[in-house]
Amino acid sequence: MSPAGVPGVVERVEAHGETTLVVDPARVVEACTHLRDAEGYNVLVDLSGVDYLGWGAKQVAGYIGTPGGRDIHAPGSQGFERTPGEKETRFAVVYHLLRVSDDPARLRLEARLDDGDEIDSVIGVWPAADWYEREAYDLFGIVFRGHPYLVRILMPEDWEGHPLRKDYPLGGEPVRFSGEA
Amino acid sequence: MALGRRLPLVSDRPAAKAGLKSERILWPERGPGVFEQELEEIEDALMTTTVEKAIAWAQSGSMWPDTFGLACCAIEMMSIVSSRYDIARFGMERFSSSPRQADLLIISGRMTHKMAAPARQVYDQMLEPKWVIAMGACASSGGMFNNYTVLQGVDKIFPVDIHVPGCPPRPEALMEGIVRLHEKIRAGVPPAYEIRGVAE
Amino acid sequence: MAVVPTTRIYEGTRIPARCPTILDVDPAEHDLEDILTVNFGPNHPSTHGVLRLIVQLDGEHVAGIEAVIGYLHTGFEKTMEHKTYWKGITYPERIDYLSFQANELVFVLAIEKLLGLETPEKATWMRMCLSELNRIHSHLVWLGTSALEIGAISMFWYAFRERDMVLDLFEMVAGVRMHTRYFQVGGLAEDIPEGFYEQARDFARHMPRAVNDYEALLDRNKIWLERTKGIGLLSAADALALGQSGPMLRGSGVDWDLRKAEPYLAYDEVDFDVPVYPNGDVYDRYKVHMDEMRASARIVSQCLTRLEELRGQPWIADDRKVVLPPREELHTSMESLIHHFKIVTEGYLVPEGQVYVAVESARGECGCYLVSDGGPKPWRVKFRAPSFAALQATATCVRGTAIADLIAVAASLDPVMGDVDR
Repeated sequence: MSPAGVPGVVERVEAHGETTLVVDPARVVEACTHLRDAEGYNVLVDLSGVDYLGWGAKQVAGYIGTPGGRDIHAPGSQGFERTPGEKETRFAVVYHLLRVSDDPARLRLEARLDDGDEIDSVIGVWPAADWYEREAYDLFGIVFRGHPYLVRILMPEDWEGHPLRKDYPLGGEPVRFSGEA
Repeated sequence: MALGRRLPLVSDRPAAKAGLKSERILWPERGPGVFEQELEEIEDALMTTTVEKAIAWAQSGSMWPDTFGLACCAIEMMSIVSSRYDIARFGMERFSSSPRQADLLIISGRMTHKMAAPARQVYDQMLEPKWVIAMGACASSGGMFNNYTVLQGVDKIFPVDIHVPGCPPRPEALMEGIVRLHEKIRAGVPPAYEIRGVAE
Repeated sequence: MAVVPTTRIYEGTRIPARCPTILDVDPAEHDLEDILTVNFGPNHPSTHGVLRLIVQLDGEHVAGIEAVIGYLHTGFEKTMEHKTYWKGITYPERIDYLSFQANELVFVLAIEKLLGLETPEKATWMRMCLSELNRIHSHLVWLGTSALEIGAISMFWYAFRERDMVLDLFEMVAGVRMHTRYFQVGGLAEDIPEGFYEQARDFARHMPRAVNDYEALLDRNKIWLERTKGIGLLSAADALALGQSGPMLRGSGVDWDLRKAEPYLAYDEVDFDVPVYPNGDVYDRYKVHMDEMRASARIVSQCLTRLEELRGQPWIADDRKVVLPPREELHTSMESLIHHFKIVTEGYLVPEGQVYVAVESARGECGCYLVSDGGPKPWRVKFRAPSFAALQATATCVRGTAIADLIAVAASLDPVMGDVDR
């Protein structure tokens, strides 16, 4: 299947047997409506946010020391990809679509946003987007225009901050070991 | 329970005579463990009267748990009601949904900050005497989740009598915890809120 | 047979217009002064965990409903970003704590897809066998608790009797009843013990008879039929629009099962039926669950036949950059020691990319969206939870029901709050 007639597509990536269409965030509702009506993607399987803050930060891998210290968790020490390429925007909203029919197909849409950008809600295209968008707002702070009830869903209503952002700390308490002085 | 041979009573102190033998149910040849020795010492120190002993026996013989199942441990808590493990032997098959009619709160599962307020409300609605078992690693100490949303141990919001380790603890492990709680009560140990005090 | 049915359960759509997951009180049908707002709080025996429903009642009838979730939000996704892949495998199991192997499986399959790693045949078939046993386990707990809520109290003990048999099998294989952590990247953690084949075969032979017993108790019971037939209707179009999958979708007539439509593991090599029922009510979803238990028992016996032929074969892939070497080799081989050290301390590296893998768990489509930056820890891992989607259908399914039916509908949606809140 070739979603070549989908409006708003900026880029098309094929990897690991999956197709990803990068869509202009201003035209996301148009693209989704076209995909639902013309191509038959009748199910929105998942809608998630991704935060790319700190992606590809230059670090030294392995056990070699540098003036800034060493990080054994940085990529590159076992011969796989070196540090990955840069990302232009901080956030991405990723939609996973499914066509339930005799000719099943899956598709991923990616809309790239910066911090503070808003994106239109696709709740009018697939009602399933309701809670997924509330979750993306709660955990990332991405605002969906046109959502009828965009309030926090997983965290308590009076929580401050958006936990899944990369600059939000993991939290928790330091573990105390018995026998400590 | 008929075993076909007498369990060796290692001591003739009152607690042992009254049936204190939790570890020996599982391991008959073993002597009294640390838990049992401590309980025997406590009982000597407390010198409970016969009336108090009778009350303790009644309380522990029919303690009604509250249905406070949160996560995976709740499934193992449900399985102690099932016929293989059968908590009805201990008089506890009547799980009460209303905290006002419950004696025991078994916190089974991870407690989040959002859930802490309703949980504390449930604890406050229970009538005294009331006991709390923190079942599993998440309820005892936050478990494998040391993050922004999981309460690191449910004893931050109310006092806990017994912590049962495991992820999830086997039904037998939970029953061992419950049996130890019964023995604590019969030895005269007061519920945790009297020992540790409850914050308002 | 067409995947989406042509007959309709009701005309039009019943999804609430303003907000799909909130049923607002319709002033034309209910007098607003008669409305009583009741809170089915997070601690309630009939809500499968910590689900809060704010219900507006007109007498006994449900006029408005809103579901509030988040009481079990454990921060799995953020925590897993801080753990290496090997350590991270313990986390997904606890998300959907009833069908735990499915979550493990989907995470492991996602990592293997990014790595491009092939697993040996024995591992594939054993994964399939355990996934089906897990499906039986999840349906048994669902049956026991749902029947308990609807009023058929003795079903709880019958269902948990078989559930303990399944957990005995898991314990034999992995040492632990629940949350077995048996699936590793590359295959299985350990070889299959000898006694497993016979005991599992006995169980697979016993299971269909047990399902017949359950149906004998419930299927012709007048009270059960009155309480489940015609309740909680959901049409196929609404189900697809709300992103449903699994028994919710198959109970509404849509013939969609990932094991047949997009086969993973070795599901295209086994023979089984997928039950589809047309009426979209609680009774049909119950029938789907029962028939799936029988189908799973069939798959398990076919897997065991194949596994017995594969005795002595390797159970994990040979790629030492990803898979830990066997312990005996650590005493003799220097490379094995270094590999072990690197994998345990730093973690194996997964190439940059993003994948989405889905499996058919007991509740529906359980998916894992994994974004990797080339490092030893996942950059973003999102679990597509089938119960999250199922709960969104609450407002649509409870139109026109009474309180007691609300409990039956919530039970048939089969939500597991760990899955919903993650």
